[in-house]
Amino acid sequence: MENSNKLSQFSQRFAPTEIDALLPMGDDARAFIAENDFPTTKVERFKYTRLTKLANAVFEAQKQEVNLEKRHEQICPDSIAIYVVDGEVILPETSLPSGLAIDFISSAQNVPNSSIKDVFAALNTLHAQSGVRIKVANNCIIEPVIELVHVVNSSYAGFTRNHLSVGENAQAKFVLTYVSKHSNTGFSHVHTSIEVAKHAHVQVEKVQMESAENFSFSDEEVWQDADSVFQINTLTLDGHLVRNDLHIQVLGEHSETHLNGLYMLNGQQHVANYTTVDHQVANCQSNELYKGIMDDKSVSVFNGKVFVRQDAQKTNAFQSNANVLISEDASVNSKPELEIYADDVKCSHGSTTGQLDDEALFYLRARGISEKGATQLLLTAFMSDVLEKISVPAVKEKVFEVINERFNWDLSL
Amino acid sequence: MIKIENLHASINGKEILKGLNLVVNAGEVHAIMGPNGAGKSTLASVLAGREDYEVTAGSVDFDGTDLLELSTEDRAREGLFLAFQYPVEIPGVSNVNFLRTALNEIREYRGQESISAKDFMSMVREKSAIVELDSKLASRAVNEGFSGGEKKRNEIFQMAMLEPKLAVLDETDSGLDIDALRIVANGVNTLKSDKNATIVITHYQRLLDYIVPDFVHVLYNGRIVMTGTKDLALELEEKGYDWIKDSIEA
Repeated sequence: MENSNKLSQFSQRFAPTEIDALLPMGDDARAFIAENDFPTTKVERFKYTRLTKLANAVFEAQKQEVNLEKRHEQICPDSIAIYVVDGEVILPETSLPSGLAIDFISSAQNVPNSSIKDVFAALNTLHAQSGVRIKVANNCIIEPVIELVHVVNSSYAGFTRNHLSVGENAQAKFVLTYVSKHSNTGFSHVHTSIEVAKHAHVQVEKVQMESAENFSFSDEEVWQDADSVFQINTLTLDGHLVRNDLHIQVLGEHSETHLNGLYMLNGQQHVANYTTVDHQVANCQSNELYKGIMDDKSVSVFNGKVFVRQDAQKTNAFQSNANVLISEDASVNSKPELEIYADDVKCSHGSTTGQLDDEALFYLRARGISEKGATQLLLTAFMSDVLEKISVPAVKEKVFEVINERFNWDLSL
Repeated sequence: MIKIENLHASINGKEILKGLNLVVNAGEVHAIMGPNGAGKSTLASVLAGREDYEVTAGSVDFDGTDLLELSTEDRAREGLFLAFQYPVEIPGVSNVNFLRTALNEIREYRGQESISAKDFMSMVREKSAIVELDSKLASRAVNEGFSGGEKKRNEIFQMAMLEPKLAVLDETDSGLDIDALRIVANGVNTLKSDKNATIVITHYQRLLDYIVPDFVHVLYNGRIVMTGTKDLALELEEKGYDWIKDSIEA
């Protein structure tokens, strides 16, 4: 029987996946699509994000010829760069350091199933066209940054699936770059699963700067084993409708998790960050800090959830979201949540939203600093604790460059 | 230096300054005293360009420029400095970064070149010594976690760095112990020259033992009602302000 709801229709616009490792999960995903429609704003996780525009959007599906010569989109000039251009994966041509393996996802024997049970996870499972599998062997420290550059080149619409695994005692830095080269409406959904083995250190810089016409959806699902350190910085600098779902399961004791975010929005941008840190074992700590600067009629959503399960005694979990509105028309929806089932833990969460301090602005101006200069000083100060967390200098420079282009602010630390 | 004529100003529709006249020449120190609510801090705020206040009549000529036409930052760039009664804490903005930005914006306004990092740092060392401000405070966030005395010394340090033509010290003595008061006053005296001028706004005579004024004015009910020398301050200290009120209303 043909299902005629919007979600099924949307699903039918995309070809079935040919990634072998995803096929066993197909039945569940198909069942999910059959039983559900696009979530309305009555559904908690989509309360502030209307998907009607996406459901009705028209994407010119024809693919542009990928120009292999024009790979200038990476942020780090010296990175090991893998390009995913309109869903087509281009592996690096240079030789890789020992212990690092990069391949098409289609050659992977198995890919972990996503535990995120929503529409986009199901669509991704059914329609992922391509993706990358990156493996860092045990005891290997990969010095160069590994950069995964997602480019929406034309009015591309499609799903990508990546899997990163970092072995025991290994260390790696990843930059996930999202750019678009076209001003027509595009849509991309990227699901990236990340396995962090015992004693591994993994750093991820996620830099989103797709055009103001693009729908940019991405999930990261992270599994952390004992004594590991995982840090992700989600830096959203552009995009029409951006949604990030970050799901971290802390499965091994004595692990550290750091998740930071920065979003700088203007125009009618809508950016939603949904995060989950699930502490399932004892003696771990997590720190979460998301900050936003909102101009014009932009809208942001922050929903951070921290679970501390019954066995997760001695957990230290901190979560904070702070926003500055520099326009009267911008709006913020912030919902930090803690769910604690253990009794010997230290947890806190908080959320603030406000304008720049008028007294501070006046003080700076009374010393001869222009209103714009004073605003820049105060905003830089506001962002500084997140900016300090960025571990790749080229990423920090890129952030300043994009802020300068979009807001005409000349920031420096 | 500055000529204030018939200045009327109000906040939220309530008139606070009601026809204030004051002339200050280069090389002079003027003290403005008065009871609470007389309009002392309003005068400082209006001169600095605080937007909450509306000037309803009068004029302020600042070295040939119509001060009231200028934005807050341009008043500072023209050489006006307000030492705040309550200096603002600005977390995350370092004192030196803030001052270098201020100094360079002022220099740009005056058509001068930016100061080099080296010259700037030696200037910081030299000027912070004037108010015995620990150079570590210079690199900390603006006023954050400073004691009351450190905040006021930081104001005078900024004044030393920006070298204004006219400094308005708004209740700089409030909340200071005698050592801090001496240091602050010593800083102001060191910076004094025949090319600049100072207006000291204060409730108490105490500060004027250390910063000796050429003129003392009494501000009452939005106007200057009496002008004298430093002896007037001593008389006020002895008799209180009621004596002034009585003599005005009589």
